[in-house]
Amino acid sequence: MDSLTTNPFLLWLAISVAVGALAWTFLRNELRTRAILYSSFLVACFVSMWPLQEKLKLGLDLKGGMHLILKVVTDDALRATVSDGVSLASSELGRAGMPGAKVMGADIDTFTVEGIEPARAKDARTTLKDFFLSTEWNLNETPAGFSLKLTDPYKRVLKEQTVQESIRTLERRVNVLGVAEPVITAHGSTGDQILIQLPGVTDVVRAKDMIKRTAQLSLKLVENEASTREMLLAPGQTEPPPTMEIVTGAGSEPGTRAFYLVRKEAVITGRDLKNARPSISPETGLPDIQFSLTPTGAQKFGQATGDNVGRRLAVILDGTVESAPVINSRITDSGVIQGTFSQEEADTLAKVLRAGALPATLSFLQEQTVGASLGRDSIRSGVLASAAGMGFITLFMLFYYRLSGVNAVVALSANLLILLGAMAYAGATLTLPGIAGIILTVGVGVDTNVLVFERIREELRSGKTVKTAVNNGFDRVWITILDTHATALIAAAFLFQFGTGAVRGFAITLVWGLVANVFASYFVSKFLFEWVLGERKADTLSI
Amino acid sequence: MLEILKNPNFDFLGKTKYFLALSALIILGGLGFMLGTGMYLGAGARGYGVEFSGGTQLIIKFEKTPEIDRIRSAVAEATIQTYDAPAKNQVIVRLAAADETNLDEAANRAKAAIAASYPENRIIESSAEIVGPTVGADLRQKAVQLTVWGLVFQLLYITWRFGGAIWGAAATLAVFHDVLVALAFLAFFNYEITLNVIAALLTLVGYSVNDTIVIFDRARENLKLKKKDPLEKILNDSLNQTLTRTLISNGTTFLAVLGLFLFGGEVLRGFGFTMVIGILAGTYSTIYIASPIVVWWQKRQAGRVPSA
Repeated sequence: MDSLTTNPFLLWLAISVAVGALAWTFLRNELRTRAILYSSFLVACFVSMWPLQEKLKLGLDLKGGMHLILKVVTDDALRATVSDGVSLASSELGRAGMPGAKVMGADIDTFTVEGIEPARAKDARTTLKDFFLSTEWNLNETPAGFSLKLTDPYKRVLKEQTVQESIRTLERRVNVLGVAEPVITAHGSTGDQILIQLPGVTDVVRAKDMIKRTAQLSLKLVENEASTREMLLAPGQTEPPPTMEIVTGAGSEPGTRAFYLVRKEAVITGRDLKNARPSISPETGLPDIQFSLTPTGAQKFGQATGDNVGRRLAVILDGTVESAPVINSRITDSGVIQGTFSQEEADTLAKVLRAGALPATLSFLQEQTVGASLGRDSIRSGVLASAAGMGFITLFMLFYYRLSGVNAVVALSANLLILLGAMAYAGATLTLPGIAGIILTVGVGVDTNVLVFERIREELRSGKTVKTAVNNGFDRVWITILDTHATALIAAAFLFQFGTGAVRGFAITLVWGLVANVFASYFVSKFLFEWVLGERKADTLSI
Repeated sequence: MLEILKNPNFDFLGKTKYFLALSALIILGGLGFMLGTGMYLGAGARGYGVEFSGGTQLIIKFEKTPEIDRIRSAVAEATIQTYDAPAKNQVIVRLAAADETNLDEAANRAKAAIAASYPENRIIESSAEIVGPTVGADLRQKAVQLTVWGLVFQLLYITWRFGGAIWGAAATLAVFHDVLVALAFLAFFNYEITLNVIAALLTLVGYSVNDTIVIFDRARENLKLKKKDPLEKILNDSLNQTLTRTLISNGTTFLAVLGLFLFGGEVLRGFGFTMVIGILAGTYSTIYIASPIVVWWQKRQAGRVPSA
């Protein structure tokens, strides 16, 4: 029901079916029922597409903007997991009374444990088995000790998580840019690519910087928290004092958003961090992140936390507050970030803090930027070419088929109306090749009309009455129209597989155009003939 | 009733061999030309757009008319040409393959060099397309795969609808003919194969099959009506019966894509050109390639099994 009320197209579709059913019940007249059904459907399309400028999304090639394909170096995630494994194994083996164990990374997905006394091998094995799940790690005995290798399913999970986390991080960064309708999705068949589309972005350099930059973590002292920005400002002021700034993010209550007034100067930043790893808080049992600081970082942090016990400290990542815990005591070389993290989020945040802001390195595979005026030029030429083509076709049909030509032009207009309505409804993007697709749709639409009209003429020549000729014309041509449209749809479906960008826009218009065409150039056109010929006894047909 | 042709009765299938020779000439000439000039074919072939070959392509819009020679001296390793109408003050700069570790470095360097050596003519706007080698190679492979699969499915559909593989095979061979002819002309006129051109080629595949089906459908209908007539006569009659439709439909579509080619701007020019050639080839191949193949096959079968 929700989609019915929010979506004008579906609403109108429902109304038109209802109206059609009512008309049939009361009128018992097939022609009038069809008239009502068709026209309410066309009204639905009109409602869906109007106003066109707002409803139809323009592609990057027309609007200007940028399109990036990035590759996530998922091997980074494997390396990080192995290095976590190394530190966990050595500390746990040490705690189990085997401090002499030598644990080191052997390969991108493997680490080894050596130097265990033969007598303790069994204990070491038990310890390792306890801390390294068999679904994640394959534990093998080697001549020198043990080796632990990531399992293939777990590697896949890690890679997938890395890509998903990278997407989330990129979304956070792109949001800072304030782009309307950005697209950030996984891309391609290899599973490690991300597509970013930023329509209308003109400041390409800034956008790319935003995406590429690393580690933007800072911890800042909180002055005040509120649910709106205005509540944080002094009366009559529109900006915070020069030493302060306002940032948004997670509120103190789980699941809420809040505004924070914080000191502009950061207590520490990502650079002061030495290491970070996920853990479980002994007090709350919730996942958190333990971090350790560099010597200079520890000095700064110790000073600031010592002076501000009882106040809150905002953990700001890429401009968004992740949490704002209270400082309980002076913290020097290590601390804990508590928040409402899931285990997975804590893992990622730790990785992010360690590696920079992204869980893995990104490399750029493809970049496309289109200047806004070049886009405008393209629209102008595309529309000009379409208008020229359509104008010519209209004139020709009117000239050659006379009144039946009017029928064809009405059908063509209905075709375009349905095509644009469906595209607006589906949120499809119009690209420059898409405009070309519309022209081809018009071509195929005309072909349907011509096929029918020529057949009607043939029937008339062989001496049939007007009504019989029209009926036979439409009947005989139906199979041909079905076959031609089906094969064209097959071609369009494969075009659609081409992935993103301009070609997909073309395939979309082609598919919708073909469907619209069967309705408009066959059914609407047939109805128009029957309606005009319906009441009176026609001897001649203007065709 | 306004008519282009009154009861046309041309002997299309009687002159098949001349046209087959013409098609062979164009296709072989095209392939020879491609090999001779190193376009499209062979290792390290040129003539592919940046999205397939990888590399950097910049379109730069200047305040005033740019002097190509001065830009050329600023970025020596690039090819530089005027882009679109001269009044738009645009140039296109192409640089060799982009480096995936630092994708936009070459582009930025070129832009900076041009801006520095040409300070009095400001760059108003620029567009860039930078494609690393991975994406280019992926896309090339995908284009070929998708075209082949598209053809296979169309072949299956036609075979199913017409109850005989020969109809599907004939339509498919006609499509191959059209794609090869279009490629030959693209090579003759030195067009780059871009994504848009591939889109046009795939559209052409659909369009050409369309045209063939209209005539085959008519032949199917005639086969039921006149069981005694030889297939050759039936196909020739079908071609004549649908000739007016062929002229009008293909004529109007031809003019529409001609409009795209002439007025569609720089981006759509390759698309328009491919479609212009493709519609001509598609119309021609239905008559002189697809239909003769069906007739030839039927005669061969009849020769083998005389009692049928």
